[in-house]
Amino acid sequence: MAPDTGCFFLVALFSASCQVITSSDQMCIEKEANKTYNCENLGLSEIPGTLPNSTKCLEFSFNFLPTIQNTTFSRLVNLSFLDLTRCQIYWIHEDTFQSQHQLDTLVLTANPLIFVAETALNGPKALKHLFFIQTGISSLDFIPGHNLKHLESLHLGSNHISSIKLPKDFPAEKLKVLDFQNNAIHYLSTEDVGSLQLATDLNLNLCGNDITGIEPGAFKSTVFQSLNFGGTLKLLGIFQGLRNSTVESLWLGTFEDIDDGDELSSAMFEGLCEMSVESINLQKHHFLDISSNTFHCFTGLRELDLTATHLKELPAGIVGLRKLKKLVLSANKFENLCQISAANFPSLTHLSIKGNTKRLDLGTGCLEYLENLRELDLSHDDIETSDCCNLQLKNLSHLQNLNMSYNEPLGLRSEAFKECPQLELLDLAFTRLRVNAPQSPFQNLHLLKVLNLSHCFLDTSNQQLLNGLPALRHLNLQGNHFPNGNIQRTNLLQTLGSLEILILSLCDLSSIDQQAFLSLKTMSHVDLSQNKLTSSSIEALGHLKGLHLNLASNHISVIPANLLPILSQQSTINLRQNPLDCTCSNIYFIEWYKENLQKLEDEEDTLCANPPLLRGVRLSEVTLSCGITAVGIFLLIVVLLLFAVLVIFAVKYFLRWKYQHI
Amino acid sequence: MNSATAALLVWILSSPSSSGHDKGKGWPTHMACSGGGLEVFYQSCDPLQDFGLSIDQCSKHIQQNLNIRFGIILREDIRKLFLDIALVAKGSSVVNFSYPICEEDQPKFSFCGKRKGEQIYYAGPVNNLGLDVPQGEYQVLLELYNENRATVACANATVVCS
Repeated sequence: MAPDTGCFFLVALFSASCQVITSSDQMCIEKEANKTYNCENLGLSEIPGTLPNSTKCLEFSFNFLPTIQNTTFSRLVNLSFLDLTRCQIYWIHEDTFQSQHQLDTLVLTANPLIFVAETALNGPKALKHLFFIQTGISSLDFIPGHNLKHLESLHLGSNHISSIKLPKDFPAEKLKVLDFQNNAIHYLSTEDVGSLQLATDLNLNLCGNDITGIEPGAFKSTVFQSLNFGGTLKLLGIFQGLRNSTVESLWLGTFEDIDDGDELSSAMFEGLCEMSVESINLQKHHFLDISSNTFHCFTGLRELDLTATHLKELPAGIVGLRKLKKLVLSANKFENLCQISAANFPSLTHLSIKGNTKRLDLGTGCLEYLENLRELDLSHDDIETSDCCNLQLKNLSHLQNLNMSYNEPLGLRSEAFKECPQLELLDLAFTRLRVNAPQSPFQNLHLLKVLNLSHCFLDTSNQQLLNGLPALRHLNLQGNHFPNGNIQRTNLLQTLGSLEILILSLCDLSSIDQQAFLSLKTMSHVDLSQNKLTSSSIEALGHLKGLHLNLASNHISVIPANLLPILSQQSTINLRQNPLDCTCSNIYFIEWYKENLQKLEDEEDTLCANPPLLRGVRLSEVTLSCGITAVGIFLLIVVLLLFAVLVIFAVKYFLRWKYQHI
Repeated sequence: MNSATAALLVWILSSPSSSGHDKGKGWPTHMACSGGGLEVFYQSCDPLQDFGLSIDQCSKHIQQNLNIRFGIILREDIRKLFLDIALVAKGSSVVNFSYPICEEDQPKFSFCGKRKGEQIYYAGPVNNLGLDVPQGEYQVLLELYNENRATVACANATVVCS
């Protein structure tokens, strides 16, 4: 009897969690019913019989399929995505994919392929993405090309390929991405590049190939979307070879594990004068000596990325960068912001100087010539100043996005951003802010929409802190503390009439006054997770409807019936990881919960904490019968009857006793 | 056979893993380096696979920019890759830090951008700071993960400095 019940229980358990398909000892994970399955790392040597014929996306990596042939996948006729990464495939025989007409993406990365049959890839009507990374191939002839007319991306990284030349008749009309990362290509001839002629707006990746030479004129009159020569040391040869070409984006950076090549000099960039480029990346290179003439061939350039190029300063009077729109100077060694000589770049709209390896002093008016600047990133720079930011950001009247997160303490006074009245986004996360009590540092930022003040150690008792932000929609106050863990009736949020998204997680809150959010009428998303709130704080949301409300990881146990209408009027609620009560004292909430499952998020992590018997059980699976049961009523009647009989006997006995003693 | 011997027999038979290795079913413990008064042992804490690591020039005076050799199969794409290090000495946490290795706007190493399934062999510098290790035994937890917090590699290391 006992084993039978056990089996029955197991069967019930498996049928309850229908996300798992079982096939003896292997299990694929269902990610989307009848469509998407993940069978990774299961050591399977065939497609499990339990996978439905309708499967569209199949992640089958890290299994064991030494040979694949026409019977291997024949049943799965709807496949559009098939990942066979590292399945130890040696052979791909004739007509393997003949019934997969809808196959769009095929991943064969890291298989030790010996041979792919001529008709192996026949079948798919429009195969678009093909991954042959680290398959040991040394020539493109290895891939049968005649059914690849629709190919958009071909990934051939980490092989032994020494030439980019496409085989004759290889269809390249629709090719957009051709990836040769980490191969053995050292030379590009006119013939090689000519074989790509049919592809337009191609992204060609040659990163990790030590290109030592390009035949002069090889790239003459070609057009590329992007060209990546990452890790190449002979930049002089590259620039000479690219003469008369048009490239939207050219990536020429190097890496920490690549030995230093030639130092960059102005002579090296001469070739740039004869080509058309929009954007260049030179990360981690060393400059021999930056003079005002170094960049004189960069006149057509819109974007320049000099991340980690060991720069200490840029000279004044640089020629050639007056039209530059975007400049990245991150991870360099500036000591003072004025050392970038901003007057060199009067057209700049985007400037990024983040992760400076020395403490960055913002100086005074160092960026005042950048009248067109829209976005400025000064995060992770160890900036510390007692009076920010009007002198430092002088004349940046068009600035819209400012990121000063992850810095050292900043002192802010009233109207601290007066010089940037157009600000729409201000990020100060993880930067300690020192604001004296009645000051309003963000005053007059009439257009500010997003303000991130998470972990800023704010003085939240300052009621004026957030004054003057009429357009603010998104406010993040995560990790700031309120006096006594309580948001009072009068608080710093009251002036924010346009607020839609409010994040108050990790604020150590234990209560919120019923009228604390009364002036916030347009909110759509409130995150109160990871605090110590109980259900009484829900009353503060009584006037709001359609909220996405996150109450995860709080101290909510019983939610009384009078608060349920407030929850009912919201659209999504998360109550994960609360010590929820599953006794009869919470019956109204439990019933409400089961009727409103479509509103609840992370339902699988919303569990009972009490009584001990139900600890860890999903709230949705709890059935309580409270009130008086039939057995209870029966017992009550029996007790009452017995009592009546007893009383009658007692009275009778008493009367008899009395009459006998008259 | 009395009941005590029977119980002992059952116990030995039912727990074969605990008799051979000290760490049960885990991956074997490897030595990353030894010499100059310093020994570094590690064990993979990724249940799916082991990995190989060796550190050149082992010494209690750790030099700047050490060279290592590292071999692993990638279980995830590493366009974005981060390293977490937690150092524990005598049961209390000493240092925790997180360091980006591959980022979209700054791929620091040539292997950044490799794909799931690829095998990586890296022999080169790690760009560390130089330091002198005080005598003692230290536990180090190293974790490599991508932007989805999916594990790429995990190591429980023990550093013994004598």
